[in-house]
Amino acid sequence: MNYSLLPLHRTRICLVLCIALAAILLSLTQGQLKTWPEISWLDITGEGGVAVLTLVWLFFLFVSRPPGRVTDMLVVGLSCFMFSALLDLLDEFIRQENGHWLSVVESIPAPFGMIMMTWALYQWHQEQLTLNAQLRRREAQSRQHHQVDWVTRLYDADYLRAHLAKQLQVSHSLSVLMLDIDNFDQFNRRYGGQEGDRLLREMSELILMNIRQSDLACRYAGDRFIVLLPDTPRPAAITLAAQIKESIRHFAFKTRENGETVFHTLSSALVSAVNTDQVEPLLQRLNRQLELSRQGS
Amino acid sequence: MKAYAALDDKYFPAQQIAASLIDLAANRGVDRNKLLRGTCIFYEDMREGTSLLCASQMLRLMANARQLMPGNDAAFQLGRRLFPGHYSQASNLLLQSQNLRDAFRLYSLVKMQLFPFVQTRLYRHEQCCFLLLDDAIGCGNEYQFVIETYCAALVSACRLLLGQRIPFHFDFPFPRPRYIQEFEENLGYRLRFSQPFLCIRFDQRYLHYACPQASQTLRWHALRQLHRSSQAPRLGFLEVIRQHIINDKNTNLQEIAAALVISPATLKRRLKQHGTSFMQLQDEVHRQQALYLLHVKGLNNEDIAAQMAFNDIPNFRRAFKRWTGSTPSQARLSWKLIDFSG
Repeated sequence: MNYSLLPLHRTRICLVLCIALAAILLSLTQGQLKTWPEISWLDITGEGGVAVLTLVWLFFLFVSRPPGRVTDMLVVGLSCFMFSALLDLLDEFIRQENGHWLSVVESIPAPFGMIMMTWALYQWHQEQLTLNAQLRRREAQSRQHHQVDWVTRLYDADYLRAHLAKQLQVSHSLSVLMLDIDNFDQFNRRYGGQEGDRLLREMSELILMNIRQSDLACRYAGDRFIVLLPDTPRPAAITLAAQIKESIRHFAFKTRENGETVFHTLSSALVSAVNTDQVEPLLQRLNRQLELSRQGS
Repeated sequence: MKAYAALDDKYFPAQQIAASLIDLAANRGVDRNKLLRGTCIFYEDMREGTSLLCASQMLRLMANARQLMPGNDAAFQLGRRLFPGHYSQASNLLLQSQNLRDAFRLYSLVKMQLFPFVQTRLYRHEQCCFLLLDDAIGCGNEYQFVIETYCAALVSACRLLLGQRIPFHFDFPFPRPRYIQEFEENLGYRLRFSQPFLCIRFDQRYLHYACPQASQTLRWHALRQLHRSSQAPRLGFLEVIRQHIINDKNTNLQEIAAALVISPATLKRRLKQHGTSFMQLQDEVHRQQALYLLHVKGLNNEDIAAQMAFNDIPNFRRAFKRWTGSTPSQARLSWKLIDFSG
């Protein structure tokens, strides 16, 4: 697990702890402890479980979301719910006189928190739509986070194969473009693997910038990318490939060590799918073509 | 110092392959403590650059890396980084290879420092060279990772030394993997899977292409330095035993134990520790020999039986069936099928 977001939530974590502490102090000061025989352990497991799970949810919220409006609402809503759940739990240990104000008000924060969380979830939905739009050209109709390549954050070859199989059935004039960085090995050897990874990352951004909203870019293997161009006749695909290559040619990559500028070129191969095409033979054709174009250059 | 290295002999410098793998995993966001768990490798020792590792530690590290690193390219990336790498003495020598043939010869001198897991034997037949690979030290589950690393290192090292790509043909015994793209990207497209034995094939003329940067003087210096400083063993444990079996087909456990100056019981125990037994190794060696003579040299049963010192043909056929699961004629047929489609 990655805990790098936790420090950003310092104030929110404090708030949650204060609310929990407040609940404990309130019930301690307003009643007396029960004796052992009075305690019902079944109730404690049930109510304690609710309180603990709310805390677990809060924890996952903190480690997975950066701060922001939606996060704040979720935290406040869950905290209110936790406050009620805690008071409910402490009830089992501490006796209050009948009709004490605390037992009357203890359930009020819970529905308030639930309403707030519902509103926050609606906001989350809105946020997700925005993120989906941001992910355009990186993602097709399905989301498989385990198939995202670690280096470039593009989807990997497995995702590509699955999506290509789908597209081959629905798209009429599908073009598939393969791009390969020239002399990437030399670059890696000279500047190190870490710089190589950074180059791949920045190149993938540049490729994304040059394709249309309906296209999908994936990292195939090593320094090789594949772009799926649905409903694209061959001439349009050739133009698009030329545009990508042109923009990479002008991309002035600065090395970390001394800010030296390194330019790169791409080799490319383009295959237009026909109706009867299957995934593997199509990829093989693409690979062969790329090798031919490399030998030619 | 012994002439060979077993799984748990600490002889090989940590800063070479272990450091490469640890850096590679760190670049892929793997937690270093998790990566080193169970390996008894300490990062602090490694930075000092003095610690020596044994093969089983390295294999454990590979297992962890395979499990923790995202993607399927860990072995290939590691292979690409092995040479020239950081371990200067061995790489300095290899960098001065006159040609590929010389490179293979020099590699056999320093391989225990660079990559002690694979045993390689180079055969020539007609216009082709055949590089046969074997497990030198008992790699167990990591053998495929080791093979992938070795092949990637071979391709990238030859490219670096000769300044051009050599068209290697790879025959792998395992089935076509799902991540075929990594094989193609790193090894090229001349790949066949589910083959009878692991073999790398290339045209003989590449052996004599001169390496452009090589210098005779520097080569001589590097060799001298190596001879002066090196006490490392030259061979892996399984490799030594295979060598004995190849040299004398009818050798037995007692003879080998005597040659290694250990008791037969110890030899048995050590073989078990390396995940194999004498019988199994003997069968493996003979199987590989028979398949090579049959598939590569295209010999008929009589000639193979004669070359492998069998008294009669039925005996040979029976043994062949035991090694490979099929008769020689069936094996010939299946090879042809593969050749036509591939």
